[in-house]
Amino acid sequence: MRDAYVIGAGQTPFGAMPGEGYRSLFATAYERAVESVPDGLADSAIDEAVVGTLGVGGRQLGLSAPAVTEHVGLGGVPATRIENACAASGYAVRQAVQAVRSGMADVVLAGGVEVMTDMSGDVTKYWLGVSGETEWERLTGTTFAGVYAQMASAYLAAHEATPEHLSMVAVKNHRHGAMNPDAHLGFECSLEEAVGAPTVADPLNLYHCCPTSDGAAAVLVASEDVVAEYTDDPVRVAGVGAASDRVGLFQRDTYTAIEASRVAGEQAYAAAGVEPADLDFAEVHDCFAIAELLAYEDLGFCDRGEAARLLEAGRTDLDGDLPVNASGGLKAKGHPIGATGAGQIAEAYKQLQGRAGDRQVEDATLGVTHNVGGSGGAAVVHVLEREVAR
Amino acid sequence: MSDPRVAGLGAYAPRLRIDAEAVAEAWGRFEAAGVDRTAVPDADEDALTMAAEAARRALEAADREGSEVVHLAFATTTPPMAEEDLTPRLASVLGAPAAVTTRTMTGSTRAGAQALDGALAAGPWGDGVGLVVASDCPRGAPDSETEHAAGAGAAALVLAGEGPGRVTDRAAAVAPYPGTRFRAAGAEATDTLGVTGYEREAFTTALSEAVAGLESPPDVDAAAVQSPDGKLPYRAADAVGVDPGTIAAADTVSDLGDTGAASVFLGAASALEDGAERVLLAAYGSGAGANAALVSAGGLPVRAALEGDVSLTYPAYLRRRGEITPGEPEGGGAYVSVPAWQRTVPQRHRLVAGRCPDCGGLHFPPAGACPDCGARPRAYEPVALPGTGTVEAVTTIAQGGAPPEFVEQQARSGPFVSAVVGFDGPDGDGVSAPAQVLTAGADDPEVGTRVAATVRRIYDQEDVIRYGFKVRPVEAVR
Repeated sequence: MRDAYVIGAGQTPFGAMPGEGYRSLFATAYERAVESVPDGLADSAIDEAVVGTLGVGGRQLGLSAPAVTEHVGLGGVPATRIENACAASGYAVRQAVQAVRSGMADVVLAGGVEVMTDMSGDVTKYWLGVSGETEWERLTGTTFAGVYAQMASAYLAAHEATPEHLSMVAVKNHRHGAMNPDAHLGFECSLEEAVGAPTVADPLNLYHCCPTSDGAAAVLVASEDVVAEYTDDPVRVAGVGAASDRVGLFQRDTYTAIEASRVAGEQAYAAAGVEPADLDFAEVHDCFAIAELLAYEDLGFCDRGEAARLLEAGRTDLDGDLPVNASGGLKAKGHPIGATGAGQIAEAYKQLQGRAGDRQVEDATLGVTHNVGGSGGAAVVHVLEREVAR
Repeated sequence: MSDPRVAGLGAYAPRLRIDAEAVAEAWGRFEAAGVDRTAVPDADEDALTMAAEAARRALEAADREGSEVVHLAFATTTPPMAEEDLTPRLASVLGAPAAVTTRTMTGSTRAGAQALDGALAAGPWGDGVGLVVASDCPRGAPDSETEHAAGAGAAALVLAGEGPGRVTDRAAAVAPYPGTRFRAAGAEATDTLGVTGYEREAFTTALSEAVAGLESPPDVDAAAVQSPDGKLPYRAADAVGVDPGTIAAADTVSDLGDTGAASVFLGAASALEDGAERVLLAAYGSGAGANAALVSAGGLPVRAALEGDVSLTYPAYLRRRGEITPGEPEGGGAYVSVPAWQRTVPQRHRLVAGRCPDCGGLHFPPAGACPDCGARPRAYEPVALPGTGTVEAVTTIAQGGAPPEFVEQQARSGPFVSAVVGFDGPDGDGVSAPAQVLTAGADDPEVGTRVAATVRRIYDQEDVIRYGFKVRPVEAVR
């Protein structure tokens, strides 16, 4: 099996961009990804494209991948849409890695795009709601905030953690996001502000929830046979893990963990031959603050029930021993659903290339990205490694 | 063959109330004489859900099962749909067999008494039982006497071959008096012309004719006389041959308001709970017509839940009634097609889980591969859950946070609670399912709160009302 490498990655700013459409956003992300390839890359080198999108708003639900590849001048390459709710483009990257490793392609474009801010709140809630379990869970009046709030209720009842710990996640990720020029909500907030925010779905308040964003991200994946043509500082996809679970929370064995994340993480670590303790940083799927605490435990950063201890000790801060969501995470960087997973890879690429600016994690050589679909019906984890020692 | 006996009586009223003073404060006066407060259906209640509540209580009182119901009569002036038989759904909620005979009586407030009349004539049914359910939630224009009086409630009678209660005599009469209480085709609000003397004459004439048809004048402890307000029944004391105190012994209108087709049954339930043994039912319906029945009911088991304990402000009342709410927003709700919904009716209506034939695992909904053993059974063995359970995870969806198909519910009732409930299985095991939690009269549920299921409106789509289970804390079960 051939190794796969990330040779370039980029994203648009995430946020509300009424002047942009899904195609122009994708084009910006693509251009930034190409520009990031150290030794350059011609459009003609791309063998295939995989595009993640939920298609919020239904603007181009069918054939959305060819619709964006034609716009950036890649007309003719095989182009496929991947849909796995909020994990769509994490899975698109995984698909690119599979294509490269199998030998079917040498360079694959994996990306994602979403436009979420150009429609009424009711239309947005419709699209998000029908991406969970529709027939039973949704028909008790829940949105994703509601389902994650239910998970938070179970977690807070089972472990020594409080709603204030959830607010501390928001404070940390906003502090990081304020250093990210591409962040949707790039401002700092105080713990007092985060605690006092209005309730969305008890126990979650507004600061426990990520925003809905517009944005796109693109990742260029190349095979070991051609990687040297593009860079002498490659980032290897050291391990990939992916798993699914019951779509509805009520059908799962536990509400205080995301099993698909745990399985995907274990797979990715095993494939990479690493332990969580080896990691220099992590980009995790903090769509709601409780999700970041669950990720600490699901990905083995700490034992079950210990996430709040890890957080309050500052160990996941940018200057901690395992910085989590240096980008600001979904909370502050933003969450354009279909672009989020590829955006995490783009952040990891920047960190591993030492190009993350003020939020650069010192001596970053090994990182993990963690992308979850829905409330845990799908998860995908990538371990990325900078091969050239600094 | 003798008439069926009465084996049990159940009664239900919503726990929400609006006080006469609150209406008076809003309008400058309160138009409904003799009414202190009225019962208000919650946003997810209607004549069908209240009927189900009363029917369950009646069956419990009679110690009978829904599966034994072979005759089901549903009476209301406010059917949730103008056209479409609702008795199949009521039968489904109760677990009645497919071969049940059903009747819907509507069109006037004596529909309940007409349904009883018909059922008594149709029975007895051997080992089976008849169930007569009257349920009503009338409405008028906001400033009208009809609306100020309008209440809500339901009552159900179980009829069987044996039972401590007996209808010893009954009679009916009609008298053509148009225009005393009516609702035009397509209209939502019931209206009257307010020709007081004429309306009173219609009321007393029809009732006296019906009572005159009884074999002997009523000698009763209580007289449940049709109560469109708290004054008119007493005007008919002479016409039905009882004194006002006997009518007062069956009063519910002062606390529940006008309960339409359920009025006389609710009056009887209240009187029997207070120890009455012989009760006159004197039902009146505009048009006009009346039914009189003498009930001898010493020892009749009654299960009633009529108390109100949640007081509404007038704006909250207008919200509950949908007078000032926006309806479903643009953009549409989650689309669950009617055929898809229909396939899950046993689960929605009766919490039918399934046991895996291979490993015995209990699952809800019973579909797809068994999560325990991986088998793909052709069919799960149906297991009706008892409906009790424990909250495992819970949230309150704050105002403004509801998805589109629940926006109208939230506009009417405010923040709602959505939970994952671990339902008790019949054999000590259990299975989880999501459910809204009704919080009226209870503390906000937490992880660990014990709950019990009931049936409510879940939502409307394409004008098709979807009924399904919700739960409420056990402490709030009446």
